[in-house]
Amino acid sequence: MASLRISKDLLERLESMVMAGYPNETCGVIAGKARDSAVDVCNVMAARNLNTERAHDRYELAPDDMLGADREAARLGLDIVGIWHSHPDHPVQPSETDRMAAWEGWSYVILSVTREKVVDMRSWRLNGARQFVEEKIEICQT
Amino acid sequence: MPDVTIRIPMPLRTFANDLDEVVVEGATVGEALKALGAVHSGITERVMTPEGQLRSFVNVYLGTDDVNSVDGLDTAVSDGDVLSIVPAVAGGTGVRAKDRKLMELRATIPQVMPREALKLKQNGAVLIDVRERDEIAEGRPAGAHSLGRSYLELKIEEVAPDLGQTVVVMCNGGARSLFAAEDLKRLGYTDVRSITGGFNRWKNDGLPFEVPQILDSDARERYSRHLLMPEVGEAGQLRLLNSKVLLVGVGGLGSPAAFYLAAAGVGTLGIIDHDLVELSNLQRQILHTDDRVGTPKVTSARATLQALNPHVKINEHDVRLDSTNVEAVFRSYDVVVDGSDNFATRYLVNDASVRLGIPNVHGAVFRFEGQVSVFWPAYPKHRGPCYRCVYPEPPPPELGPSCAEAGVLGVLPGVIGVLQAVETIKLLLEVGEPLIGKLLYYDALQARFSELKLIRNPSCAYCGDHAEFPGYVDYEAFCTASTA
Repeated sequence: MASLRISKDLLERLESMVMAGYPNETCGVIAGKARDSAVDVCNVMAARNLNTERAHDRYELAPDDMLGADREAARLGLDIVGIWHSHPDHPVQPSETDRMAAWEGWSYVILSVTREKVVDMRSWRLNGARQFVEEKIEICQT
Repeated sequence: MPDVTIRIPMPLRTFANDLDEVVVEGATVGEALKALGAVHSGITERVMTPEGQLRSFVNVYLGTDDVNSVDGLDTAVSDGDVLSIVPAVAGGTGVRAKDRKLMELRATIPQVMPREALKLKQNGAVLIDVRERDEIAEGRPAGAHSLGRSYLELKIEEVAPDLGQTVVVMCNGGARSLFAAEDLKRLGYTDVRSITGGFNRWKNDGLPFEVPQILDSDARERYSRHLLMPEVGEAGQLRLLNSKVLLVGVGGLGSPAAFYLAAAGVGTLGIIDHDLVELSNLQRQILHTDDRVGTPKVTSARATLQALNPHVKINEHDVRLDSTNVEAVFRSYDVVVDGSDNFATRYLVNDASVRLGIPNVHGAVFRFEGQVSVFWPAYPKHRGPCYRCVYPEPPPPELGPSCAEAGVLGVLPGVIGVLQAVETIKLLLEVGEPLIGKLLYYDALQARFSELKLIRNPSCAYCGDHAEFPGYVDYEAFCTASTA
């Protein structure tokens, strides 16, 4: 099973970004290192959501934020290894909208969030048949 | 050639031997991407369309500039530049029901590009247009059946009676046609296809289309009571609007006939009358008014008809009809309504309309009696008589006096003129049984209508079986001679 390793610190930062954006969907980029199907998360960055019309249930990640993140990652010898986004007041499962727009080779981390807290967080990758397969999230101390 | 570094995002690296950067040569962004494709072929089709455009779900940046904001693929690059392929990233919590359904339909309904649809149509497929009226007004492929979406199932068999035939459905963008195609499949059609991109794409692909004539909203409201009737409907109303009717005389008969024809939306009314309005006309000639006494009847008629329906085109023929001008005037009309008050004109109208093959809607009144008939030997369904078959020669003046001589109940020509309008509209719409070979006789005192059968004369000089047009005669002399 594929896996995604993230430190407690980064996880907390991710959760605070998602909470801060509530009730809107927030999204961003995950930088790290990928070896086979094991991903080590080294940084999480927020990006602007260009879909202002339906910001509560859609996101469209600003491409220049993606470009900036890619440049920053390259400088540190990292790659963009995935995308994170929130599902406000909605289950953590990826939607058909998510699946249709997804790219193979990236991890898609979704956080289900309510006004009070992050309820759940899971990660998925597309398989060869363009179906999402859940990957394991490992939380490490450092 | 400048060397350009292209940064490959992780999702595309499987097509680039897992490299995160590739250095290629090229003078423009397009050339550099092509050069990348030459080395790593799988990337090109993910970044560019077969037509060589950038796909919508990738962005390409030159340095920090989106190339779409510069010159697109023609953006010039210099040595050492960095091009980044940035995948578009999007998503969201849910998918709306319609989107889910559309995805399902895209997977189950065969879709064809407009060009292929045109070919299918040329090979006998039925092309169904399910767009709304205002969309159709922008244009539609020739021969497409605009059934609309709401009556689709009820009307489809009129144009596609065979459930096995190929049916191609079109809307404006390619979504509604999928829903419509599903309905048709459910109805039992086995080969239903939907046009990808709909009419927008059809137009953009440069395929032929026509801009159809349709009723605007004003006309739809004005003629709404006609549109409700299946015998008229939009097609029939358009037919009326495209029709041309000539009224010979706008006196007692022509006035009510013209009034109702204008109201009904007959597009062009020709009026031939060389008289001036007289006070004694106003007892029955309802197009004219007290303040127009002394003015030409054609001008007066135009004023009244256009006040009722300004969309009707009025042709004024302020001439005395005779054998030198009759064909020039008649030629451009579909139907002639004879409201003349003398035999000379009736024979002239008859002869010219027989010669030109135009139906002649005849009416005549005398005191409390009136008669209506349609003389049209060229009627395709069955041959009827012409006026001369019934009246080979005019009656002597004492038996055929004019209104001026004999008087007429003012409302009587109203009844007969309106019946002439009814017959005219039936002819234009090709509905019902026209009064061909029949004469409807009205007796106001008895309050009785009776129908007389009129027999055509196979040896009639004008419309007989082997008749060759004998020419126009001196009608005044012809009608006076009979008195002898």
